[in-house]
Amino acid sequence: MNNLSARVGLTQGGFTLEADITAPGDGITVLFGPSGAGKSTLLSMLAGLKRPDSGRIALGSRVLDDGAAHVPAHRRGLGLVFQDARLFPHLTARQNIAYAWKRAPPATRPAIDDVAGFFDIAGRLDRPVERLSGGEKSRVALARAVASAPDFLLLDEPFAALDGVRRRGFIRVLLDMQRRFSLPMLVVTHDIDDAAALGSHLVALKDGRVAAAGEFAAASACAAFQALLDRHDHGSAVPAQRLRSAGHDGARFLWLRADHVLLSAEAPRSISARNVLAGTVAGIAREDGGSLMVELATGAGPILSRITEEARSELALAEGKPAWALVKAHAV
Amino acid sequence: MISGAEIEILSTSFAVATRAILWSLPFAVGAAWVLSRPNLPGKLVLDGLAHLPLILPPVLVGFLLLMLLGRGGLLGGWLAGLGIHLPFTRNGAALATAVMAFPLFVRSVRLAFEATDRRLFEAAAMLRAGPWDRFVSIALPLAGPGILAGTVTAFAAALGEFGAVITFAANIPGQTQTLPLAIYAVLQQPGGEAEAMRLATLSILLALAGLALAGLLQRWSTRRHAG
Repeated sequence: MNNLSARVGLTQGGFTLEADITAPGDGITVLFGPSGAGKSTLLSMLAGLKRPDSGRIALGSRVLDDGAAHVPAHRRGLGLVFQDARLFPHLTARQNIAYAWKRAPPATRPAIDDVAGFFDIAGRLDRPVERLSGGEKSRVALARAVASAPDFLLLDEPFAALDGVRRRGFIRVLLDMQRRFSLPMLVVTHDIDDAAALGSHLVALKDGRVAAAGEFAAASACAAFQALLDRHDHGSAVPAQRLRSAGHDGARFLWLRADHVLLSAEAPRSISARNVLAGTVAGIAREDGGSLMVELATGAGPILSRITEEARSELALAEGKPAWALVKAHAV
Repeated sequence: MISGAEIEILSTSFAVATRAILWSLPFAVGAAWVLSRPNLPGKLVLDGLAHLPLILPPVLVGFLLLMLLGRGGLLGGWLAGLGIHLPFTRNGAALATAVMAFPLFVRSVRLAFEATDRRLFEAAAMLRAGPWDRFVSIALPLAGPGILAGTVTAFAAALGEFGAVITFAANIPGQTQTLPLAIYAVLQQPGGEAEAMRLATLSILLALAGLALAGLLQRWSTRRHAG
């Protein structure tokens, strides 16, 4: 298992990036952060397109960058899927994929037809790329990256251009392809729902520094991570198979926003909410503005619910007492 | 309609310009590629060198070539030992033409490289393509129509070279007497104006045809990059 690790420093144009990260050699690591946090810069350094001022980058035991040595991008064995598909305009879809395949190590590269079948583009292969739709272009770009048989795949906000339904479809494809081609990935995103759907691990950046890192559910629960989010996005990652949701099959976690969780002091009956999770109040924190953040320890992990002081006293909620979290299927 | 002498002049012109352009093509493409790179160290110096023939008087370029490659020149003796004689020969005319056309050639090819989306080279690098591989597999094919357009433009310009050619290769009918040199020659004779007009018309028609062809190629090139 080859972990991708980097401890790098870079200063450019008044911005300083000072990060120490590890992306495990299995699963999907989400590189999360608000825009301007340095996510894309860090990705460029990992890819070898930008050289750090100092530090070390390694894939497993193979050193890619340290003070003296710099392995150029084309010898790193890393793949990179850009925000825009960046297909070669003078080639057809098939030729784009073959471009990668021809240069990939013969022992590990998948067959072009398998890749095309997996990404559902077999019928589009002989089109010039300007005649592909936006979604088809992204899938050809993914197929091209997979055909290159990289040891680690980096993705820079690959779904930035896609809307709701196609975005969820794309996330599904990423999860499937990670398993199908056993391809470890590092995905950059600033969207918490996308992050939860994909991430087995999390690295969060703020102002060029790591704010939180670790296994996704635990790392996303820590205060430093929640502080990166908008107030209405505060919440918790719940394993997707533990919740009934509308249209999120295949996701890894669902991001359950504290504002969308109702609490009950008794086991509820005859209720429309499809998700009822029993638990124990693990903590109650007072927030700026007077609201209360209740943490409920449940069988599906900790769940956050934001309530008013009035509700707390009416329900007589207190640490150690039982409570039930109610969540509508359409709220996740 | 066109006399035998005129056909000889035209064929000399084409032969000289064709040789000049073919010889300088790899150098022009190489220089254009190097100069199209952003953040190239020493770019200003290289750019200046490539443009030098544009700024120097053509007669001076011809004279410098004589000093360098003439019988008593720095390289002339050595070349003569190899059996290569450039001054006052057709190859010499082609060389002088190539030097004079070089800045325009580089400039138009460079435009083709600069029109290419450099981010595609990053994409290629992330698919294990090294620098030379990227040049051959991405840069050249994408710039191909533009390079062709630049070649035609440079060819049209090469047909009109005068000062450097006449200084370095003289005005020898059937050898180095290209269209502009022939116009000059007939103007030296009393009553040569009518013949000069005929040659001038030929010259203008050729130049226009060259420009039109280059324009068509340029449009093809632009469409290619739109994908």
